[in-house]
Amino acid sequence: MLGTKKTTKQGLKIIIVGCGKVGSTLVEQLCREGHDITIIDTNSNRIQEITNLYDVMGLTGNGASYSVQVEAGIKATDLLIAVTGSDELNLLCCTVAKQVADCAAIARVRNPDYSKEVGYLRQKLGLAMIINPELEAAREIARILYLPTALEVNSFAHGQAELIQFKIPEGNALDGMTIARLDQNIPIKVLICALEREGQVQIPSGDSVLRAGDVISFVAPRSKIRGFLSNIAVKTHQVKNTMIIGGGKAAYYLASQLLHMGISVKIIEQNKARCEELSLLLPKAIIINGDGTDGELLKEEGIEYTESFVPLTGIDEENIMLTLHARQVSDAKIITKVNRTTFRNVISSLDLGSVIYPRQITSEAIIAYVRAKNDSKNNNIETLYHLFNAQVEAIEFRVDSPSDVTDLPLKDLTLKEQVLIAFINRNGSIIIPSGQDSILVGDTVMVVTTHTGFDDLQDILK
Amino acid sequence: MNLPIIRYVLGYVLKIQALFLLLPCITAFIYQEQEGFFYLATALLCVVIGHLMSFKKPQQQVFYLKEGCVATALSWIILSISGGLPFWLSGEIPLFTDAMFETVSGFTTTGASILNDVEIISKSSLLWRSFTNWIGGMGVLVFLLTIIPLSGGSHMNLMRAESPGPSVGKLVPKIKSTARILYLIYLGLTFLEFILLVAGGMPVFDAIAASFSTAGTGGFGIKNSSMGDYSPYLQWVVTIFMLLFGVNFNAYYLILFHNVKKALHMEEVRWYFSIVGISILIIFFNLLQTVSSAFEALTQSAFQVASIITTTGFSTVDFSQWAESSKVILVLLMFIGGCAGSTSGGIKVSRLVILFKTVVKELNSYIHPKSIVKLKMDGKQVEHEVVRSVNVYFITFMIIFVFSVLLVSLEGADLITSFTAVAATLNNVGPGLELVGPTQNFGHFTLFTKWVLIFDMLAGRLELFPLLILFHSSVWKDSFHSGWRSKKAK
Repeated sequence: MLGTKKTTKQGLKIIIVGCGKVGSTLVEQLCREGHDITIIDTNSNRIQEITNLYDVMGLTGNGASYSVQVEAGIKATDLLIAVTGSDELNLLCCTVAKQVADCAAIARVRNPDYSKEVGYLRQKLGLAMIINPELEAAREIARILYLPTALEVNSFAHGQAELIQFKIPEGNALDGMTIARLDQNIPIKVLICALEREGQVQIPSGDSVLRAGDVISFVAPRSKIRGFLSNIAVKTHQVKNTMIIGGGKAAYYLASQLLHMGISVKIIEQNKARCEELSLLLPKAIIINGDGTDGELLKEEGIEYTESFVPLTGIDEENIMLTLHARQVSDAKIITKVNRTTFRNVISSLDLGSVIYPRQITSEAIIAYVRAKNDSKNNNIETLYHLFNAQVEAIEFRVDSPSDVTDLPLKDLTLKEQVLIAFINRNGSIIIPSGQDSILVGDTVMVVTTHTGFDDLQDILK
Repeated sequence: MNLPIIRYVLGYVLKIQALFLLLPCITAFIYQEQEGFFYLATALLCVVIGHLMSFKKPQQQVFYLKEGCVATALSWIILSISGGLPFWLSGEIPLFTDAMFETVSGFTTTGASILNDVEIISKSSLLWRSFTNWIGGMGVLVFLLTIIPLSGGSHMNLMRAESPGPSVGKLVPKIKSTARILYLIYLGLTFLEFILLVAGGMPVFDAIAASFSTAGTGGFGIKNSSMGDYSPYLQWVVTIFMLLFGVNFNAYYLILFHNVKKALHMEEVRWYFSIVGISILIIFFNLLQTVSSAFEALTQSAFQVASIITTTGFSTVDFSQWAESSKVILVLLMFIGGCAGSTSGGIKVSRLVILFKTVVKELNSYIHPKSIVKLKMDGKQVEHEVVRSVNVYFITFMIIFVFSVLLVSLEGADLITSFTAVAATLNNVGPGLELVGPTQNFGHFTLFTKWVLIFDMLAGRLELFPLLILFHSSVWKDSFHSGWRSKKAK
């Protein structure tokens, strides 16, 4: 601005329409990464609150209106993100923006009616991205149910590699083992890339010792995961049935995926009309019309014997109570959905097992996109995940052209502290790297780090 | 209450003050004046204390509105004390209260002086006086925002506490860029005025001082006759620039980066120029009866109107001698002040426009009791919250004004003197009428009255509430408790 060239990276100009839960999470994160953000919402109090807290410009009005967008400076904007409560409004915002200016647009679309047409919509409307938090959450839950030992499963390299988080049980083979010895003792090669002990997260080195009770994250090719887990004597079979409380959008998406995987599904939903809809949409599922928080009903429907239990009601407190209840009465694998991120510390101290934050999934997807877009250099971000309450980032970079990190054996690179190269994906095969391997042009590389804000592979160098 | 962050900001303010103090040091070096040493000593003192205070960066860097207000009010007090030290130490202003009055008057862009004869004061002190006008005009914390290395985004609360006007908006999303743009516009206009003044034959030193004082709408003159002895060309340049600095700076941003049309359609700016035009016209006709040439009458009326409405306080004639109606107009203009988001003082045109519209709305509601009308400015709805705060502002302003007049009148001066002395300080104008008229000064008041007026000047510049909050008991209780707790924790 005004010819003053900054030495630091210039942020993008971003307009965010809608300041609900996802909107404000986005503002918080994008603001921290130094972008120029303008927010639009019809509720002037919301705008006031957010502009008081964050360094952003607020505008009251309808974000789909041409004049409001012009006032927000759409013509000079790089990216418009529409995350209002209404799918149609979001799509309209993006459509208007695309007509006015040459900017990228991201819309949140949640309605299952559109979810099948996402590809079509995206292409026809020229959108950069369509995000569906419920669908993403459902996918993540399905991945965990596929491997119930895990607390969290994230996929990378288009599903080729997975990042598994799990807690080392008492008396496990890993208890007391150093990471260097792990490599010698277990024939299947995996890479432990993060370790949480008593709330402290670190990137382990070769002589870190594992203990029972630690939560570890490891990366492995999808095909090798079960092998590794059975090697250390952990159950690996997928669940056979699941009980879902609440029949919202996420429940629908989850149920349809689980049924597809051959897992039988039981949904308990209070609203009769919704039950009827669901039974039309999911003919194979068992739909129960009743109060999911009723202990007798849960007992009658077999909460004691179910292999997995997923409370997906719209109310966080209910989900958490249901989880605690289920832990008492059954051995099921439980996954809890929590919307609000405010009480994360409390929730992690409750030891609920797997917890899913749909809001975070959404904002992660968008932030990964923004970082990739902001990057004018060679390398690009493919995927980004926050692990351990966002204390660790796992980032997958695409290597498009030679740089300081390519064509050198990894042992010759001087990496920053707390940085780990977790895998190299070369033409679809996953390499768990050793010091002799090097990064080549055309690879994608996953980096695990406790630093935040990496947007280029070269950021890993000291 | 987050005391560490306030301490940290205050430390930075002192360091910046040290930087500012270098300007009179340089002046003293050029003109070989002894006073320079006192400025240098004060600057060193500021650096040391400032560095000690801002040495440790606080962990919690969030600013809420109360921290913003308290930090702002304390910054201005600290600036005034440290800025007044050289006057006092060098003996140019022997009384501490007088030195404080002079600096507060400078930083708050009031321009009221206690000096009988400014021409005997050293050049470095004269320049420092004008420079405080310039600094105070845009505000120190806004400047601070462009350089202070704070993370966290709630700096809006700092800017809100310092910037004049009913609602503060940003020009661009980032506050840093906003502050930078504002300062660049400010600098650019000041420089332009300097060039035009020098081109008109004003000595360079005078031109610098005059540009500083005009830009901040302060009005410290370096001559006993203020601007009276300069040529009509120079007077017109100053008139035009005073008016320009009374315009909302958003208008300049719009002109520079977007469209001129939108800037010209700003309702506040239109009202402002209408008020100026009408006032000049009335006083012009009044003056025609006493002044021989029409041009001179126009020059005089335009200069005085511009000077008073923008709360600058320069003068070219002794308007105490003018016709009563002209004097009344000038006193009313004092209260109106310039636009919100400018460097001027007063109640601000936009607030008065909102108040006026509220009255019209109230009248309408007598005719159509069930009608619903929303107030609009620039075609946009004015939030109820803004209307409410404007009303409260006006009431509070009047309460402070009345009490100040009462306190000042205790000394026994005539009503016009007491009334205009408070009006001229609370509105940051400078000269009033009668005993505080343009050819007089504030030096004859008692110490007590001077402190009342010092309070008024600060209250006027900081738009009342950031200063008043210092008197709120919970601010002090809070600080006491948190201070006590942190000591206990150690």
